Amino acid sequence: MLKELKEGMKAFGNTLTTLINSILLFVVYLIGIGITSIIARIVGKKFLDTEKKDSYWKEYAEMNKTKESRYRQF
Amino acid sequence: MYILGISCYYHDSSATLLKDGIIVAAAEEERFTRKKHDTSFPNNAIKYCLESQGITIQDIDHVGFYEKPLLKFERVLSQHLATFPRSMKTFLSSIPSWINEKLRILKKIKKLGYKKDVLFVEHHLAHAASTFLVSPFEEAAIVTVDGVGEWTTTAYGKGKGKNITLLKEIQFPHSLGLLYSTITAYLGFSVNNSEYKVMGLSPYGNMDKETNPYYEKLKQVIDVKEDGSFAFDMSYFVFHYADRMPSKKLCTLLGGPIAPRDCEMTQRHKDIAAALQMITEEALTKILCHVHKEMKCDTLVMAGGVALNSVYNGKILRNTPFKSVWMQPNASDGGTSLGVASYIYHTLLGNERNYVLEHAYLGPSYKTEQVKQFLDDKKIIYTTFASDEELLSTTSKLLYENNVIGWFQGGMEWGPRALGSRSILSNPCNPEMQAILNEKVKHREKFRPFAPVVCEDDALTYFECDEPIPLPTDFMLMVYPIKKEFQEKIPAVTHVDGSGRLQTIRRKQNPLYYSLIKQFGALSGIPILINTSFNIRGEPITCTPEDAYRCMMGTGIDYLVMDKFLIKREANPKDKWDSESRAKD
Repeated sequence: MLKELKEGMKAFGNTLTTLINSILLFVVYLIGIGITSIIARIVGKKFLDTEKKDSYWKEYAEMNKTKESRYRQF
Repeated sequence: MYILGISCYYHDSSATLLKDGIIVAAAEEERFTRKKHDTSFPNNAIKYCLESQGITIQDIDHVGFYEKPLLKFERVLSQHLATFPRSMKTFLSSIPSWINEKLRILKKIKKLGYKKDVLFVEHHLAHAASTFLVSPFEEAAIVTVDGVGEWTTTAYGKGKGKNITLLKEIQFPHSLGLLYSTITAYLGFSVNNSEYKVMGLSPYGNMDKETNPYYEKLKQVIDVKEDGSFAFDMSYFVFHYADRMPSKKLCTLLGGPIAPRDCEMTQRHKDIAAALQMITEEALTKILCHVHKEMKCDTLVMAGGVALNSVYNGKILRNTPFKSVWMQPNASDGGTSLGVASYIYHTLLGNERNYVLEHAYLGPSYKTEQVKQFLDDKKIIYTTFASDEELLSTTSKLLYENNVIGWFQGGMEWGPRALGSRSILSNPCNPEMQAILNEKVKHREKFRPFAPVVCEDDALTYFECDEPIPLPTDFMLMVYPIKKEFQEKIPAVTHVDGSGRLQTIRRKQNPLYYSLIKQFGALSGIPILINTSFNIRGEPITCTPEDAYRCMMGTGIDYLVMDKFLIKREANPKDKWDSESRAKD
């Protein structure tokens, strides 16, 4: 009985956590992503390069880094 | 000096351990957790790597991770920003894993007890290093093609000595890997898993560009320039904001909705697969010709998931000016842990190259006593071979008598292919063998062929290989036509277009396996065996003696030859060892 109660409480806790996380993420999405995205569209900023070109090759952006830069996650 | 390379959190997590530049252990996490393409942090693979050398994490000099997590996160956020508000659902489902694990990789590595700094190498640089730095070439053009890393989906450059320079790239969302995955999903197969099935399906379709109705249609989806660069018309895709890949427009273009899982493949599906393969080959040929011109180098190394397209790999030397080609057995994301470790040792620390990856047996192996202990503990009935000669003569005779043999010997293979260490072997001369294997063991789609293994010195007798035979054939990475006069003699490994995805084996790589094929040849007149991976459908290749025994007992494998022991399935009770019920996609 006690075990079942504990499991039930745990499941309830998990559901509540998921729900709260989803609500928080929804707010972040709406405010963070949404507002930035709208402003970006107004000023003409493109986040993905989908324009037609003569060649789609680009200079490899991440070359010539120092060893120190390899300690960074970016 | 020990260097540990780690890859995880996308697909095929893995770990590789280098000792003074030599790979001493490498394995994918899925083999230990028994979850195919496991994405989780490779705790078990790391444990194996360390234990194989009798060291602890404190003995490791450098740890490297196979990508730059923040760069990748920037790309993910850019996708959401570009596609607001359509990306809401994927934002809610994907961001928690970024917050909880992907952006906490440093913490996760430190949790192992590792106190020093961690090095991060870009995804495609790790791919490039994984192939060039362990290749037999001093200098080579490098091409990496996969789904996506941080931003890069395709890159090329040059390797010379211990240095690698990537020069050009194509960025997300334009990706040959994602195009292949999109059509894989459209045909009702699982993404990042079943692309090879689509490749196997393609020869059943119309391979004529003039008459295949889907070839011209699919060409509308991707703009391929003469220099091999390419870009998608994104109206045909939704993978950048949804949890599926093809858009409604692509479904309309291809004349129907996304195929349901496990549906019967019709001629239309086969023609779509053929069109996709033709377009992929066309784009790859243009890329390689451009790279050859730019790099002015006759040797080529490739990596990335697309480098596992063995049908195209077998055409590289015929379709491009390159004179030799090399890939390592784990060309996909699993191989990047090898790449990052090698990049640190050679390129960052400046150590000369001292190693060529000549075989794939880098995973766990078990001593005779350990195997015997397992068999005795589980009260399994077995017989012991008195010598290798007896093992070879008995096994070759069993194979000749059309038995299906589980073959478990030495170190587990590195990469997605079973190469004679964790293999199921059988007689390719029996016209019924494909059906027998499917019925007894594999339960896989009827259109998928089985692969042949042949000793390297016999390969040119039976196959129309390039000469000299490219080294990646040792890793089952090249498909070649089977000579016409032998196609009827080895029907079980001859695909519908007369080709075979052969594995060549050299004596020095695996003497027992090599000798078995030769002995089978002495009995049958054809020194070729069927070699398919030792697993049931939907499970990773077996790792331990227990995995192998369970696999045999749950399927119709007749005998298991494990180390120097012979186990007959029928001599042992099935009861709790039934693995059949777990078979899935």
